[in-house]
Amino acid sequence: MAARRLLVLFGSQTGTAQDTAERIGREAKRRHLQCTVEALDSYDVANLISELLVVFVCATTGQGDPPDNMKLFWRFLFRKNLPSGALCRLDYAVLGLGDSSYPKFNFIAKKLHKRVLQLGGNPLLPVALGDDQHDLGPDAVIDPWLVALWDKILMLYPLPPGLEVISPDVRLPPKYTLHYVAEDSPQPNGILLQPTAPRAAPSELCPFAALVVSNQRLTAQSHFQDVRLIEFDVTGSGITYSAGDVVMVQPQNCPEDVQQFCQLLRLDPDRRFVLKPTEPGTALPALLPQPCSIRHLVTHYLDISCVPRRSFFQLLSCFSTSELEREKLQEFSSAQGQEELYSYCNRPRRSTLEVMWDFPHTTCAIPPEYLLDLIPRIRPRAFSIASSMLAHPDRIQILMAVVQYKTWLSKPRRGLCSTWLASLHPEQGDVRVPLWVKKGGLKFPSDPDTPIIMIGPGTGVAPFRAAIQERVAQGRRGNCLFFGCRQESKDFYCQAEWEELVAKGFLTLFTAFSRDQEEKVYVQHRILENRRLVWELLSSRNAHVYLAG
Amino acid sequence: MGEYRVTPGQRVAIVWDSSSPIEALKDLVDKIQALVGAGNRVSVENVNQLSQSAHKESGFDVILSGMVPGSTAQHSAEVLAEIARILKPGGCVLLKELVVTESGNNSRIKIAAKLLTTLTLSGLMEVKELQKEALTPEEAQSVQEHLGYQSNDLLIVQVEGKKPNFEVGSSSQLKLSFAKKPGASEKPPVDPATAKLWTLSANDINDEEMDLLDPDELLDSEDLKKPDPSSLRAPSCKEMGKKKACKNCTCGLAEELEQEKKSTQPKSACGNCYLGDAFRCASCPYRGMPAFKPGEKILLKENQLHDA
Repeated sequence: MAARRLLVLFGSQTGTAQDTAERIGREAKRRHLQCTVEALDSYDVANLISELLVVFVCATTGQGDPPDNMKLFWRFLFRKNLPSGALCRLDYAVLGLGDSSYPKFNFIAKKLHKRVLQLGGNPLLPVALGDDQHDLGPDAVIDPWLVALWDKILMLYPLPPGLEVISPDVRLPPKYTLHYVAEDSPQPNGILLQPTAPRAAPSELCPFAALVVSNQRLTAQSHFQDVRLIEFDVTGSGITYSAGDVVMVQPQNCPEDVQQFCQLLRLDPDRRFVLKPTEPGTALPALLPQPCSIRHLVTHYLDISCVPRRSFFQLLSCFSTSELEREKLQEFSSAQGQEELYSYCNRPRRSTLEVMWDFPHTTCAIPPEYLLDLIPRIRPRAFSIASSMLAHPDRIQILMAVVQYKTWLSKPRRGLCSTWLASLHPEQGDVRVPLWVKKGGLKFPSDPDTPIIMIGPGTGVAPFRAAIQERVAQGRRGNCLFFGCRQESKDFYCQAEWEELVAKGFLTLFTAFSRDQEEKVYVQHRILENRRLVWELLSSRNAHVYLAG
Repeated sequence: MGEYRVTPGQRVAIVWDSSSPIEALKDLVDKIQALVGAGNRVSVENVNQLSQSAHKESGFDVILSGMVPGSTAQHSAEVLAEIARILKPGGCVLLKELVVTESGNNSRIKIAAKLLTTLTLSGLMEVKELQKEALTPEEAQSVQEHLGYQSNDLLIVQVEGKKPNFEVGSSSQLKLSFAKKPGASEKPPVDPATAKLWTLSANDINDEEMDLLDPDELLDSEDLKKPDPSSLRAPSCKEMGKKKACKNCTCGLAEELEQEKKSTQPKSACGNCYLGDAFRCASCPYRGMPAFKPGEKILLKENQLHDA
């Protein structure tokens, strides 16, 4: 009898596909299948020809692009030299996550499904196309598809005699067991952030701890939006970048939230622990020192400010000591309860911490070892780099607007990363931020005579500031910028820089201040007003046009 | 008449051979014409001319061959093939032929079984022997004259055949079941050559120089379609079990719920205020605030006071 094994491979950008893949993994375990869940680029693709049963869970991101953790796999899959019958042993299914308001809706899942078919694979089901545009999100497609998937899989691999599907009421073991170390053990030797130069270019698994040089507010104090120009020192990191590239910043939770979390769960922040995998062969979580303190775990790893997913409520309901709370949590986990869940949680952007506050009898009963199953890792945030290495060597500057808005919750919503960065005071002492650089989507012309037309209202101007600095350093003059904001006196950032460049003949600048006059004026009005110039640049000088914002 | 399998409006071909007297042929033609009605629906053809006439294929509903009394026609495979060709799908051929009871010396005249076989091999289906009859003295006479054959064991057999109900070149989808048998035990083994190619390629996973297919070519027009917007809507709150009126309810649900509240005595809404938004009703003044302990003094700021 063939071994009852399932491999779930995912490509996830924001964590949704990963969460879905992990859900499939749990449901597989409840059906007594041996199951491994892995990111596609972490999986050794040489083994794919001997696999018998694989479910692919893939998001589509950007402009129909594969997520970062499946880019290598994607390039491999489409090699012309792959033999066409290679995957003839494979029964497979593809679950896609996307957004139908984009033209290339779920293109990655659709292409993957067809390519595996082309390579000889046998599809168990048609490709599932989860859609963010559905009122109930991707689950509206995923739930019925998974029911059909398990039917098919149990037909191929029936339950062993005497075994039933493990009921959802029964708790599955956690991924790791947690063992507190004795109080008087020596200090952990691995401080996570490495100020000294690493061997390879910094990446998500090995960020560079950049010193914050300055953190300057650009908008007037009276302006509603707080926009900062933040400068990082990356000397010795080995980081290089060009205009249009992106810096990834790994944020952390604020001390107040950390304290509140520890109080709710009755955890001592200073106690230290080590983790051991429950199933042999499971890798330990990346970027967690061993041993680790509770404070470090909650500050740097657990994303307690994220909006929890359905799987959170499902697992939480297993710990509840209060019947009232358990019923509500189970309701939120059920297919029928999704509408309620969306009203309670997703639409007002309620955080995990806030949900835990609302379910006190359950929260205090959470065993600490389940925390890593319950709460995902904090995800890095991307910022367009707003400076050029040619103008500011060994520096990265970003233009950052602090995210703050209201929903019907009484406490205003705040961006985790932007609030944290805005709170940093480099003038008071050394403060470091873990970061690394990623290639961006904007590429500026290599031909020095090609002019560029840039349209960048608000913080959209960030990558263009980088491009302009780079081109000025190279002596290139064909730079035309359309910038828009609300009021000249309040949020016209970098005004002095632009005016200097205009005076020197490096920049043609058009501004649109939407609220400085009775009628609204935006960048598109300025483009229309100056259409002759724009046309001349396009038709006779082959200008490239860029849009960001 | 049922005897000839002809109904009004059909197109009929009568195939005859020169051994039949002309009057008998005319007789048959008239009979058939009366059956099919007006219009030029009856064609008459000599068996030796049939192939050369090159009638349009699949033109006739019924073909009668050798049916003229006194006929000594011998249907060759070629003739039968031609008859099959010009018959419509589902059309019918009636023919009479001389047969011998035992195969033997004379190879020109077939035994009945051979005739049936020949018909089948020409592409006709449901080939049936309808009747056998002995020759009349005139017919025996005719045979002797035309074929130079005399025997006591000659019979005339009447046979029917049908053209199958599909056209040459037509296609129909086979319904093959792809359901795998339970148990995945019949998987093909890994082909070593394929495995080698795959593994070699996988070991060079970081090689950026490899030639790639264009993924866009895999997509067809179905893939480019977007979902129908109406399929993206969830049922309204009213249809789900839980009935909660919106803040500015205009659909009348709020009034309905008010009535219900007055008539039945449900749990007091105030009882849940301290529990947190998950348990509060839509009109709770504390909505939007975190859970608090009962008895805890919560000051609602001015801007937080909602209309109940």
